[in-house]
Parts: sequence; C-alpha cells; structure tokens
Amino acid sequence: MIVIKNASLRKFLKIAVPFVLIPGCIALGVFVFDEKRYAFVSLAVTVLALLLFAAGFEQKKTGTRRLVIVAVMVALSVAGRFIPLFKPITAITVITAVYLGGEAGFLVGALSAVISNFFFGQGPWTPFQMFAWGMIGLAAGFLSGGLKKSRWLLVAYGAAAGVVYSMIMDVWTVVWYGGGFYAGLYLSAIVSAAPYTLLYAVSNAVFLALLAKPFGEKLERVKIKYGI
Amino acid sequence: MREFDGYNPISIFIYFAAAAILPMFFLHPLTAALMLSGGVGFFFSVGGWKSVKSNLFFMFLALAGAFINPLFNHNGATVLFVLNDNPVTLEAFWYGLASSALIIGGIFWFRAFSKIMTSDKLLYLLGTFSPKIALIISMALRYIPLFAVQAEKTSDAQKALGLAGDGSVPERLKSGIRVFSVMVTWTLENGIVTADSMEARGYGSGKRTFFSVYRFHRRDYLLVGTTAALFAVFAFCLASGAFEFSFYPYTDALNADWRLLAGTAAYGLLAFLPVIIKGGEAVKWRYLRSEI
Repeated sequence: MIVIKNASLRKFLKIAVPFVLIPGCIALGVFVFDEKRYAFVSLAVTVLALLLFAAGFEQKKTGTRRLVIVAVMVALSVAGRFIPLFKPITAITVITAVYLGGEAGFLVGALSAVISNFFFGQGPWTPFQMFAWGMIGLAAGFLSGGLKKSRWLLVAYGAAAGVVYSMIMDVWTVVWYGGGFYAGLYLSAIVSAAPYTLLYAVSNAVFLALLAKPFGEKLERVKIKYGI
Repeated sequence: MREFDGYNPISIFIYFAAAAILPMFFLHPLTAALMLSGGVGFFFSVGGWKSVKSNLFFMFLALAGAFINPLFNHNGATVLFVLNDNPVTLEAFWYGLASSALIIGGIFWFRAFSKIMTSDKLLYLLGTFSPKIALIISMALRYIPLFAVQAEKTSDAQKALGLAGDGSVPERLKSGIRVFSVMVTWTLENGIVTADSMEARGYGSGKRTFFSVYRFHRRDYLLVGTTAALFAVFAFCLASGAFEFSFYPYTDALNADWRLLAGTAAYGLLAFLPVIIKGGEAVKWRYLRSEI
C-alpha cells in the first residue's frame, strides 16, 4: 500500500521526517515534557536514527547479488545465536563489514538483532540492540583497511566491540529501569554485568580469530567470482 | 470471531502509536496507572491467562523500581529515614512507583504488540516504507530453516564418507566446523543463484508491487476513527496543561478538573480498546450461540 503517489515527494519525506524529528524529539523531551523522560526520548531517537538509515539505504542502487549476500549473512548470524552463551553475531557483522563495506555491516548487525528477537522476544530493547550492533558494523567498515591486514587488530576490535556493546546496553538498562541516567547506577550496572561483558569480549575475539580467515576467503572468492 | 489481530496491520500500528507512545513522555499517576493496566489487559487478552505466571518477573521489577529511586534520588520534603547520611523521601518513592508503572506498562504494550505483529505483518508494514529492507528480512527468515535442512544433509553426507570421526569431543568439534564451513560456501553460492534467478525474472527492472492478504475493511476505518477521536480529546486535554503534576518537593493532590477527567476518560477508553473489542466479540458470540 502506497499512500503518497508522488515518488519524489515520498523520497523527500522519508529523509526529511526523521531528520527533523530527531532534534524535535530531544527538544520536546528537554523543554516541553518532564525533564526525566530520558528512556522514551532515547528510544524515539534510536528508532528514528534507524529509520533514517533505512531511508538512505532505500535511495541507493544496490545490486541484487549484494542484497542477497547480506540476507545470507544475516541468516548465518541468526542461526549462530542459538549456540548457548557464545554469540557469533558480532563476529559475522564485523567480517561482513570488513569485506563488503560498512553499510552491509550495519545492515547485518541491525537486522540480525531484530530477526533473532523474533525467536528470543522483542521489546523496547530491540532498537537499542539494532543500533549497537549496527554501529559496530559501520565502524568496522570504516576501519576495514587496517582490520583486513592485521589479524591481531581484528581480534582486538572484536573484544573492544564486545565491551562497547555491553556498555551501550547498560545505558539502556539504567535509563529504562532507573528512570534517569545516574552515574552511580550506571557504574553498578557495569560492574554487575562484568562477567557477561568479559564473555562477549572473549567470544567475539575467539570467533573472529577462528572465522575471519576462512570466512574472509569465501567472501573474497564470491566477490571476485561474481563481481559483487 | 474477529479479534484484535484480525485488523489491518496499518490500523493496528496506528492504534499502538496513539495509545502507547504519548503517555510515555510525561509522568502523571493516572495515565501511568491506566497505561500499565491497559497494557497488561491487552497482553493477557492476546496471550490468555496462562501467561500470568511467566510475567511475575515484570511485576517484581515494577515494585523494585519504586524502591530503587529513593536510594538514588534525594529530592522531596517528607523524609522517611536517613540512610548513609542520605535522606530517603516519600516523594521519591511515589515518583519511583509511578515511573516504574509507566516503564513496565511500556514493556507490556511492546510485548502485546509483538505478539500481534507477526513477522509477515511487520514485513507488510515495512514494505510500504522500505521494500529493500523488507526483502532482506524475508529472505533471511527463509534462509534460517533452509540452512538447518541443508546442514542436516551435509552432516549425513560427511558421516557416509566416514569423515564424522570416532565421536570424541575434538573430533566432533572438527567435523562440526567442517560442516559449518561447507554450509557457508553453499549458502553464499545458493544466494548468488537466487539473486540471478530474481534478476532473470525482472527484479529491479521496475517498480515492485507486493502481494498482501490485508485489506482495509469497515472495521479498520472504525478502529482508526475511534482511535483518532479519543486521541484528539486526550491530546487536547494534555496540551491545555491539565496533566501537569509535580512530585517534588511535595507530591500534588489530584484535583477534579474537568479537563483532567475528560482526558483521563478518553485515554482510559483508548488504552482498554483491545479488551473492550475482545469483550464485545465474546458477548456477541454468546448471543449468537444462544439463538441457535
């Protein structure tokens, strides 16, 4: 169903609406509503940021093969999330970003989060997970030159991404359940989540160390063979 | 018998946006209470009473929020007691209670929404905004079971070739990794074949149309119209400042202002709309059965 018939107007609205609404939401949260509504303002802004990315992606011409490869990588990382405790989503996101670019990395990270939550349970945390994993992919895309050359750098990036992911989700926990951002509460959240943070960091590093080379070779081969 | 999930995804989305988003941006005890009870009602009307037990955890979190806030927030004039030189106040307790009611309510709304919005409905909604991302998601969803089937076949083939090992842990791990590696190559190649086949059938050559089973029925207009009317009354009362409420330094008393009453009534109806619809349908069903 398409409500607005004019294609260029539709294009304009898709970009302009989130672009105007993001600062608008923050201003609304600060000036109009109760000053403590951090949780909902941050949720609204995260959702809008994801919409903005989707709108930008929609404008670009993307080859069908590239599109399908992204879908395949998403499926692989979701299937991997069923492994207890160790989650390869970050590793597969980073590998995709390094070999296929930051945009593909963002898509794989963000879409793996939303699809795997169809199985594990959606909630207000879904947009934050999408954003956190997406940004890990996007940043890996920017650093792809260095990450491709040095395997140690790649493993270190994976470990750092685990820590950053955990810290972003701790912000969510504090803002959502604490009703506002308190440094003390945030610190205690980080400390109590430390074993999980460590697990994320170690499993990311292990997965990247194990998967990067064979996975990279396969992606490289497909890229050369089919010209993606 | 039509229940709430029988509506068009667009009207469900509009309802959800109207009922669950605006109340999250301000804190008033009445709307917080209505949002929580409406969300719980919505969730249980979708999931049935069996789901009560599995949600006791959230009830507990709601209570915990009320006790956490006074420990970190020392505003308020009525000091209950002093803990580690920090005053613990009654106002901070009320604030924590109201704000966690809102938060847990939000979670219940989300859960009810994601129970109704199955992946096909979500794809229909997303397809209107971003057909490319909707396509990636639906393909990925298709690949997950396909992947499981193919993994089974590959592992059987490995066993038949005598490559499965003697069953010890390192051997099993090794063969597991080999199967995974085969799978990755197979899935990538399969993806390319799929992409070529899509292009051969004209994908990307023009405007894409969608098949969907969803239509906009009369009941959808009714739902959207009712939602819009109730939302307008609520938003008007909100904009007039009737819902201003301060917790600090003293918690306000609730005054019976007509705008507050009208806004609360409108929002109450809005929040309980799914429960009302379900109740109405149940009554109709009984009536029809009694006619037989």
